Amino acid sequence: MKPISLNQISPPNRSLPDTILDSARAVILGKDRELRLALACLLARGHLLIEDLPGVGKTTLAHLLARLLGLDYARIQFTSDLLPADVIGVSVYDRAAESFRFHPGPIFSQLVLADEINRATPKAQSALLEAMEERQVTVEGETRPLPEPFFVIGTQNPLFQVGTFPLPESQLDRFLMRIRLGYPDAEQEKRLLAGEDRRIMVARQAPALTNAQLLTLQQQVTEIHAAHPIIDYVHAILQFTRSSDRFVYGLSPRAGLGILRAAKAWALLADRNYVLPEDVQAVLPACAVHRLVGGEAGQRIGEDEIATFILKHVPLSV
Amino acid sequence: MRKQPLCPVTESPDAKQVLALSLLVLATGLPLVRYLHWQINAFLLLLFVVRLFGLRWRMAIPGAWLRVLLTLAGTANCLYANHTLVGQDGGTALFVTMLALKLLELNTRRDLRLTAILTGFLIVIQFLFDQSLPLTIYLGAMAVGAVALLVDLNGGLGDARLRSTLRVAVSLSLQALPLTLALFVLFPRLTTPLWSLGLDSEQGTLGMSDSMEPGAISELVVNGELAFRVRFDSTPPHSDQLYWRGPVLWEMDGRRWSPGSVTLPADGADNPKLEQFANPIAYEIVLEPTHKTWLFALDMPVTAPDDASINRDFQLLSRQPVNSAKRYRVRSALDYRTAEPSASLRQQALQLPDNITPRMRGLVADWRSHADSDWALVQQGLAFFNRESFHYTLLPPKLGKNPADEFLFETRSGFCEHYASSFALLMRIAGIPARIVLGYLGAETNRIGGYQMVWQSDAHAWVEVLIAGRGWVRVDPTAAVDPSRIDNRSATRLLGAASPVRFSLDQASAVSQFVRSLRLLADTLDATWQNWVLDFSAADQFALLDRLGLGDFEYGLAVLMVLAVSLTLSVILLALMRDRSTPEPLDALYARFCQRLAAAGLPRRETEGSSDFGHRVMRQRPDLTAAVSRFLALYLPARFGSHPRPATIRLLALQLLGFHPKSAKRNA
Repeated sequence: MKPISLNQISPPNRSLPDTILDSARAVILGKDRELRLALACLLARGHLLIEDLPGVGKTTLAHLLARLLGLDYARIQFTSDLLPADVIGVSVYDRAAESFRFHPGPIFSQLVLADEINRATPKAQSALLEAMEERQVTVEGETRPLPEPFFVIGTQNPLFQVGTFPLPESQLDRFLMRIRLGYPDAEQEKRLLAGEDRRIMVARQAPALTNAQLLTLQQQVTEIHAAHPIIDYVHAILQFTRSSDRFVYGLSPRAGLGILRAAKAWALLADRNYVLPEDVQAVLPACAVHRLVGGEAGQRIGEDEIATFILKHVPLSV
Repeated sequence: MRKQPLCPVTESPDAKQVLALSLLVLATGLPLVRYLHWQINAFLLLLFVVRLFGLRWRMAIPGAWLRVLLTLAGTANCLYANHTLVGQDGGTALFVTMLALKLLELNTRRDLRLTAILTGFLIVIQFLFDQSLPLTIYLGAMAVGAVALLVDLNGGLGDARLRSTLRVAVSLSLQALPLTLALFVLFPRLTTPLWSLGLDSEQGTLGMSDSMEPGAISELVVNGELAFRVRFDSTPPHSDQLYWRGPVLWEMDGRRWSPGSVTLPADGADNPKLEQFANPIAYEIVLEPTHKTWLFALDMPVTAPDDASINRDFQLLSRQPVNSAKRYRVRSALDYRTAEPSASLRQQALQLPDNITPRMRGLVADWRSHADSDWALVQQGLAFFNRESFHYTLLPPKLGKNPADEFLFETRSGFCEHYASSFALLMRIAGIPARIVLGYLGAETNRIGGYQMVWQSDAHAWVEVLIAGRGWVRVDPTAAVDPSRIDNRSATRLLGAASPVRFSLDQASAVSQFVRSLRLLADTLDATWQNWVLDFSAADQFALLDRLGLGDFEYGLAVLMVLAVSLTLSVILLALMRDRSTPEPLDALYARFCQRLAAAGLPRRETEGSSDFGHRVMRQRPDLTAAVSRFLALYLPARFGSHPRPATIRLLALQLLGFHPKSAKRNA
């Protein structure tokens, strides 16, 4: 059995992901599970979509993760008049050099916060989403790689708000997870109100990881062992969503790969080097629901119930 | 394990595999060296040395052109050594040479796989030469080795290579066993070989010949091989009656006895006729291959097995030469009187060579004057051997042109053939018809196996004289020699007061006793192997069919074989199909764990994972915390970890043995 060698990069007894989570918990109160999912998503090299009402801490979470993971950070505020060039960058004629020079846009950052992504027009959205998938952008015939690591954290408002352009399913599929923050419970909210400004707290956080350490952790996620029963289980889940008459179309193979990858990251956060079925169950709501929403047939079930519905119908024998 | 995808097979073989393959081929081919011409062996040795050097220094491996040259040289070598490239010896030499050459051409994994498969052929070939149990066991081990190598070559099992690969190979071989057994029992045996592989050449087997000259039998006596095994239906006769009859010799040319050219008379007057004075005894013999048609039987055989007959000389003859071990049943009359032979045969038994000396005639005339009957004269002759200073020795002095005369009057030391030969001559001089019988005397009892063993060293020659009114009477002049004059250098023993002497090892010491029991045990194993495996013949197959009620059905055997093979294949297929639903040991253990908890009122939810379930149980029933967490600590890493250890399964099984949670109500 090959143990994960976390000890070389963290103090004994406390794994590196745990120290990150501890720091994050001090800033964002009462959202332990969401923080864990967000971190797992990034360790699984996935992009994260945070969907909620304004003011529940979406931006703070994105900013906090950037700080803790030691990533350089850019924020794009998506508005209805945002142009692709505002995201990617633009070539400007340099009179002195007598040539065009490329001015890279905010997307050339390790962590890009795409704020209120559903406020922009589909054209601007797709500029970002293509970059997310390919991890490179092509401007005027020249292909430029994006930095490594590269994360996008998108935030969006609930669709019933005025002035939104909902992301199409194909583009939602590119986010590994979608999480919701929701209001904090009473006690945590009182602590929040009594505490100091979150923005200052975020700015005070020291990076807990170097880029090399982050890449190592990402590598370790891929080395987590998923035994045959786990593969069988994930496959049964995919099959169920495809054969159930609740959904017009089921989860894609990419979704399956994503679920497995997220479950591995979840196992890593639990300091385990193999995946349990419970890991799959833990990440399934975040990984699957946004890919199935809108594709339901017959009577609509609430978004929150979709994951429960799936898990209740896929038996598990191990 | 079996569901793991095979690793991508890279095309260049690694040095360890090449070494393993080379050693496997070497070890598999080693027993064959005994049968190959020395030139072939030398060439093979050269190729192996080059191969082993090539492992360290790749430069040593010859290039394509040199390999072509080596191939030609190897073929020429085979031709030169055996004068042929076909047949058992020629073909084997060519195959082994080419296989060794292939070892110099292991460029890809495909080459390795091919060579490993050819090793299987190398194993099969050896059974043309030797079918003994030890070799079979050895080659069986080699076959498992070849399977293991193939497993490794086809992707292997990852890190823990040698032990788990061997385990897989053994389990694969065991899985093949039922089909092998079915084919062994049912594959049609040929009663006669369809093709000749030159198997009936008398290579290496030293056995009795159909003539006798001085020194012929003493050669056999130093041969330690088994001649045949006997199992008597009732108590074996006394050892001095164990005269195993072989060829009968009529003609003497002055030096050499031979069967002679006596033709069978057409009138049938000389067909064997025998008067019995006691019930014949029945026994079964398993004769080692002799490449002759002779079958040995006790004096005198009265009934012959189906595929044999009893000839004029009361010799049992098989219709086919005994090229492989032969089992047959005979009955013999120990107390008998043969019918009078015809006058022409009588005349044959009186023929004398032309080197009879006056001394010999004088001796006989002297006896005749003291004897009033033929039988009394025979007794005179035996008394002569006993009285005079005749020595019995394995190392007789060389005899010249007139061996009988020189032996009788000068050297006076010799072996059974000297005694038998000169005695028969003296009887003929006296006008008493006499002939020589070759065969074996005595038997060694194998208490472990419950049968008797007759060795080549038990070879013997004795005389039969024709006495009026009594027919042919057996006389053993060797038995007449005074025991005190037996050559001690040869380490001898006596079978009994009236028995002739026989040579054998000193059996007094404890060590030799132990060696003897080991030898008996080994022979018992060998006899069992012979009995159950090698002797399994077409006749046994038909007997089996008869018992199954398929005896009258022409293609019964083929139908049965096809049935057995398809049955085996469908069982395998079913097993493969069932495999998906068959729980692995770990799954079975987990299912039992869940059953026990369900019985205690804690059923697992259908969609609940083991970890969740365990923690829920621990929350609901804190008294079970220790047991459940112990189970989970072993089960989870074993079930979901990357390298489950087989030991874990045993530990879990042990834990579950003591895991009988009581339901909460009863507890309370």
